[in-house]
Amino acid sequence: MGKWFKEFIKGLVLSNPIFVLALGLCPALAVTNSLDNALGMSAAVIFVLLCSNVLVALIRTWVASIVRIPVFIVIIATFVTMVSLTFEAYMPVLYESLGIYLPLIVVNCIILGRAEAFASRNRLSLSVADALGMGLGFTLAIVIIAVIRETLGSGSLSLFEHVLFSFPVLEQQPVSLFLLPAGAFLVIGLLLAAFRRVGLIKNE
Amino acid sequence: MRFSIIKRFYAIAFLTLVVIISASLLSLTYSLTAEQIKLRQHEQFLGYLGEMFPEMTGFEYNDELYYVYDDALLLGYAFTASKAGYSGDINIMVGLSDKETVKGVLIISQTETPGIGTRILDEPFIGQFAGMNVNDIRLRSEGGQADTITGATVSSKAVIEAISQAAKEKLAGING
Repeated sequence: MGKWFKEFIKGLVLSNPIFVLALGLCPALAVTNSLDNALGMSAAVIFVLLCSNVLVALIRTWVASIVRIPVFIVIIATFVTMVSLTFEAYMPVLYESLGIYLPLIVVNCIILGRAEAFASRNRLSLSVADALGMGLGFTLAIVIIAVIRETLGSGSLSLFEHVLFSFPVLEQQPVSLFLLPAGAFLVIGLLLAAFRRVGLIKNE
Repeated sequence: MRFSIIKRFYAIAFLTLVVIISASLLSLTYSLTAEQIKLRQHEQFLGYLGEMFPEMTGFEYNDELYYVYDDALLLGYAFTASKAGYSGDINIMVGLSDKETVKGVLIISQTETPGIGTRILDEPFIGQFAGMNVNDIRLRSEGGQADTITGATVSSKAVIEAISQAAKEKLAGING
């Protein structure tokens, strides 16, 4: 169990996909303008990552190595399309606000990266640990970014229409730059710098 | 690297198998969600219809035209229009208070460039149609009354042309 836990925990901090590996930055920049969007995107990514890692680990001994990348992409695209159709049917609000970034999970480097670098070389249980760890690490990272952007950009933070807290001063004069793409770059850059300064991320 | 014939065939067969399984999984998901997605779109459309005619209690759909009623009183008509904009289709709903007068125009869905083409959603453009004679919704260069948006000509032209084309087709068989 020690090894399983080690593979699980590495995605959260030491190999965090966003802050350390710098994979999957596109959704991290694009859908972190609100906490709801970030959580919706995380749920979709965790599902796809888990399913693709499980399947890739299961077929890893049979897959012909010259076609492994197309096989992985087909597997990932299948799960993404299934998620996308499900969201469209049952979560139309989230589907609308995630927009193009939902189908774009297909090209999220985290998922293909983990399939190729981890799941195709490790047994099923470890691949599950890797997927959950990386998925939760991604969630942690984009939730942090979304909390900062939504709070500064709109003056309040809400979760599924419940207002968690609000700053009246900021609400009257929100820094709407933080809701725009430029704000996403600023927040990610400052967070990376801060994490490096306190030594959470180490140069390799 | 060189691969034996058997290895090549194995690779092809494997990929083909994966694609077949994927396609069947997708068609299964599609058939499971298609009805729900249609229902959602219908609900959304009803929402727009209600926004256009707040007093609406019911409607009839006949020959691509919606007849909107408040009990027995005919409030007006509505039809949908669609045309390719700068990127992707722009879907529009047009409401009429009588056979000729436009009550309002709503954009149901669009994928125009944010900040540029999306100005078709803004009041100065979309609001200009309210009260206009439906036959005047043509470009000024073609003798109409509708203005395009400077810098978003393709998007705004698509909206105007979508409405005038759809009006021509769908209002022809109007009765009552």
